[in-house]
Amino acid sequence: MGRALRSVSLAVIAVAFGLPLVMGVLGTLGTAIGWFPNSLPGLTVLSDPRLFAATRLTLFTGLMATALALGLCILTLMVFWGRGSLKRIQQALAPFLAVPHAALAVGLVFVLAPSGWLARLVTLEGRPSEAWIVPDPAGWSLILGLALKEFPFLLMTALAYLPRLNPDEFLRQGRVLGYRASQCWVRLILPNLLQSMRLPVAVVLAYNLSVVDMAIILGPGQPPTLAVWVIEYFVQPGGRAQASVAALWLLLVMAVGFLIANEIYRMCGHVTREFRTDSQRKPPRPGWGHAGRAGVMGLLGLATLALVSLWIFSFSHRWRFPDALPERWTLRFWQGRWDDWAPLVENTLSLGMASALLALLAAVIWLEAERAGRIPRFDGLWYLPLFIPQACVLLGWQAGALVGGVDGAWGTLVWAHWVYALPYVLLVLAPAWRSLDVGYERQARLLGASPWGSLIRVRMPLLLRPLLIGWAVAMAVSIAQYLPTLLLGAGRYPTLTTELVTSFGGVDRRVIGTLASLQMLLPWLVFAIALALPAWVFRNRRHA
Amino acid sequence: MKKTLIALALSAASVHALAIQPNSDWTDVLKEAQGQTVYFNAWGGSDRINQYIDWVGEQVLAEYGVKLEHVKIGDIAEIVTQIESAKAVGKDQDGNVDLMWINGENFANMKSNELLFGDFANHLPNAAFVADKPSIAYDFSVPVEGLEAPWGGAQLVFMHDSERLPNPPKSADALLAHLKDGGRFAYPAPPAFHGTTFVKQVLSEVTQQPEALLKPVDQADFDAVTAPLWAYLDEMHPLLRGNGKVWPASGEETRQLMDDGEVDISISFNPNEASAAVREGQLADATRTYIFEGGTVGNTHFVSIPYNAKAAAGAMVVANFMLSPDAQARKADPEFWGDPTVLDLAKLEGTQKTRFDQIDLGPWALPIEELANTRGEPHASWTGALEAAWAERYAQ
Repeated sequence: MGRALRSVSLAVIAVAFGLPLVMGVLGTLGTAIGWFPNSLPGLTVLSDPRLFAATRLTLFTGLMATALALGLCILTLMVFWGRGSLKRIQQALAPFLAVPHAALAVGLVFVLAPSGWLARLVTLEGRPSEAWIVPDPAGWSLILGLALKEFPFLLMTALAYLPRLNPDEFLRQGRVLGYRASQCWVRLILPNLLQSMRLPVAVVLAYNLSVVDMAIILGPGQPPTLAVWVIEYFVQPGGRAQASVAALWLLLVMAVGFLIANEIYRMCGHVTREFRTDSQRKPPRPGWGHAGRAGVMGLLGLATLALVSLWIFSFSHRWRFPDALPERWTLRFWQGRWDDWAPLVENTLSLGMASALLALLAAVIWLEAERAGRIPRFDGLWYLPLFIPQACVLLGWQAGALVGGVDGAWGTLVWAHWVYALPYVLLVLAPAWRSLDVGYERQARLLGASPWGSLIRVRMPLLLRPLLIGWAVAMAVSIAQYLPTLLLGAGRYPTLTTELVTSFGGVDRRVIGTLASLQMLLPWLVFAIALALPAWVFRNRRHA
Repeated sequence: MKKTLIALALSAASVHALAIQPNSDWTDVLKEAQGQTVYFNAWGGSDRINQYIDWVGEQVLAEYGVKLEHVKIGDIAEIVTQIESAKAVGKDQDGNVDLMWINGENFANMKSNELLFGDFANHLPNAAFVADKPSIAYDFSVPVEGLEAPWGGAQLVFMHDSERLPNPPKSADALLAHLKDGGRFAYPAPPAFHGTTFVKQVLSEVTQQPEALLKPVDQADFDAVTAPLWAYLDEMHPLLRGNGKVWPASGEETRQLMDDGEVDISISFNPNEASAAVREGQLADATRTYIFEGGTVGNTHFVSIPYNAKAAAGAMVVANFMLSPDAQARKADPEFWGDPTVLDLAKLEGTQKTRFDQIDLGPWALPIEELANTRGEPHASWTGALEAAWAERYAQ
């Protein structure tokens, strides 16, 4: 690749990636203190009577959901490690990784409500119980939803880190010395594992503290979580300045959340060290493992039920409490409404395709430059969009887009989706890219291939699998984007996700079920293609 | 030369525009309207409503030679701002908007800023059929004075499953008593529209000073007027589904909760919602719609003509057609839209009336004769004040 071309590409990527973040935060800050045209000082937002309750709720749900997801991940490792079923669980979790948050949230409400599917399965007649309510006032529904959605991500990362930590060796030695397996985990393996998982856990925490779509659906509503609260102000006429101050408050609260999480993490480290000096050995307790396995399977079953319920609703005409299944079925929400769904699917796919291909291109250029030694490794940098709440960035970004006259443009949306897809593409692609044996390309160069030729004809085909997985992940991230699509799209490009969140407030479970089914179907198809294509391409080669 | 031509064209246009006054003779209006294109700015979010407006367009084109263009918009407030800017820069003729769908705060705004065409509505031939009701003469307590023509009505109604709850509570007090007897109910949290309307309904029933609600809120002793409301809600909230801590997000959600059996009564602002919902499979056949005995809060939505409309005559012809018994009957039919009429059926005769009689609302909707039992909306300024006070008390 020519030197000039390479520098230009790198500059474009850096600016396109960094600009919105800088512009977003500065724009938000600027609006907050009154730079942006016709904004009143937004400080009045801090006298909102709901501020304290919303702050407390945000910290509670965000920290608790992260702890629960991590706990679930550790529990799964401890009770399933060394069993064949761990592999099966890993496979079963893949679809959950691809399912957008909103779809899972909608399904959970329907399964857990007093009049929901679980209740319908055990009730024969009468009225729903009044003993509980979904969503609940304390935020447990939201915590459960977030934990269920984030736990597969944490488990996948943990499984990627674990081989390096040599757990089998620790377990064997511990057993020889007469320690219980759970003791080995807590004292020997977890301290190292938790240490190496700081970054993914932080990503999950940042997400949980600033999530909007799931909090709208599963949160208690009044008071809302802070991220929802920011959006509430933003969509009010003239509420921009207030929304900006609210967004900065959210940023502050997130910092507090990180400090608390850090402190808890440190305390956990202390506790495990304390354990280590206690040399008491205990005989194995077999019941514990069964209970743990049952618990994990139960929660996975719950999530599965939530997704299945959406499919059933999409084919039902009428399904009333306490019937276990619909009394009348219909195809009309798939057939009759296709005129309504087609533009949504089209917008969703075109945005996903464009942003995913651009993200892949950018990642390849960046990783190649890194390999050629032109730039240092900037791993931390790529995670930045995942740490700054979308609500904070997008307020300023949207203001910038308005001034530049590009709000509501398709290109602006692609740009936004690209910024949020790129970190994940790099996450998937970077390890494989960096570890590929350079011998293949050296051979190609010796045989006379140009640098371009060896990249396109040797390296990229060899890395087809990670490239396609990266593409699929980027598509899935784009398909699930709610806030960027809503705020930068000016309503011109409704997608399955924006429509799903909008429709939840009003209409019809059958419509919601159909939209959510479509919304989870698309990423599944994309992943199926990503997995099937290499097998087809390499059908005549034995080694791949 | 070019400048002269433009000046000529402008003066011709202004002479043209001045030719028709809000009270011009109707035959002149009809003659002037022939061949005009009317840009009707109206919310475009509902397929059924859009299709109804298309039908209106076909009719006025065939009968009066007026071409109707539906400009689909998200929020009419944007258009009000646009007309405000037009006035600020002196674009007093040939505006982009000929007719607009409007009510409440936006109307109050346009009226006080003199952005409206004038008293045309009382001079439309079909104005003779319009019902004589305060909710039509006043738009959120602002006198209409012919500046906008009524188009359709909306009213707070309640739905219940008549098999589960044969005798629903028919006043705010009866509703509270029903909850004390173990009944189940929840209303959406303000500022959700149905929630705010429910709070207004309770306020208008329990307050000692109902006349204060008709005036701007800053002319009233807010605390004294609303004290009985807060006492009522304080007593009600612990008895609600969700104990006053979790709220339905919308009126539609209360409908779903009612079908699930989690509440007994749901809230709507469309007296015909149940008809459509039962036919769609979303509510039980035993669903019925009712209102409180002392009447419920209702309002009217209107169409109006901006002061700088290009095709004012055409707009008047369209507004008049929209008030015709034909157009109103079709609009009231849930088959097409299901929006209650603003006409007084007692003023209609013969075939005009039979069209309404033929509408099949089914047993599920509110019977048409009960629609008359309406309480006017409090003055537009009460909405924000009530929502803020509600949040202060109950959303912490």
